[in-house]
Amino acid sequence: MQLHRARAEIEALGARLVLIGQATPRQAAHFRRRQGVELPVLADEARTTYKSAGAKKATFNELLGPKVLAKGMATSARYGVHQGRTIGHAAQLGGAMVVRQDGSVAWSHMSEDASDNAEPAEIIAALRAA
Amino acid sequence: MLGTAKQRGHTSAPARADALADVVLPDHEGHDVRLGDLWRDGPVALVWLRHYG
Repeated sequence: MQLHRARAEIEALGARLVLIGQATPRQAAHFRRRQGVELPVLADEARTTYKSAGAKKATFNELLGPKVLAKGMATSARYGVHQGRTIGHAAQLGGAMVVRQDGSVAWSHMSEDASDNAEPAEIIAALRAA
Repeated sequence: MLGTAKQRGHTSAPARADALADVVLPDHEGHDVRLGDLWRDGPVALVWLRHYG
């Protein structure tokens, strides 16, 4: 969870950072405790907002293909973050979106595969420009 | 297998977050949060997690 380390920088911009997960509030709370994350986490068990945000479900190759696995292992090694037990729909991909005060979307990055995640720097740059 | 899609799909983020504004989700403490309230006072970055694992 690299993003929680950027929280101070994001809040200094007058912006907010909110995580949305596809499970229950109780699992969201457990996630926060286990990962040491102090960001708000919303629970979207039905994945309604995933659909509205344009996130997609992965094919097998987009989930566990060799390129995806290699990139995932490199990211784990770089940040010391390791995947635990999957909670929620295993093939549901995520993404990120910056929404302006007027409701327009300033920037988005919806994952194309399991290793495709927006960098915190991209999100911060988008918030600066929003 | 794993509920994966049979064919490669496409992501399609909207230009506006209107469809999200009136959605209410519980937070990690069980309190309801209306998504539109999150950007009422300033920009917000929403991050959809792939999973909690």
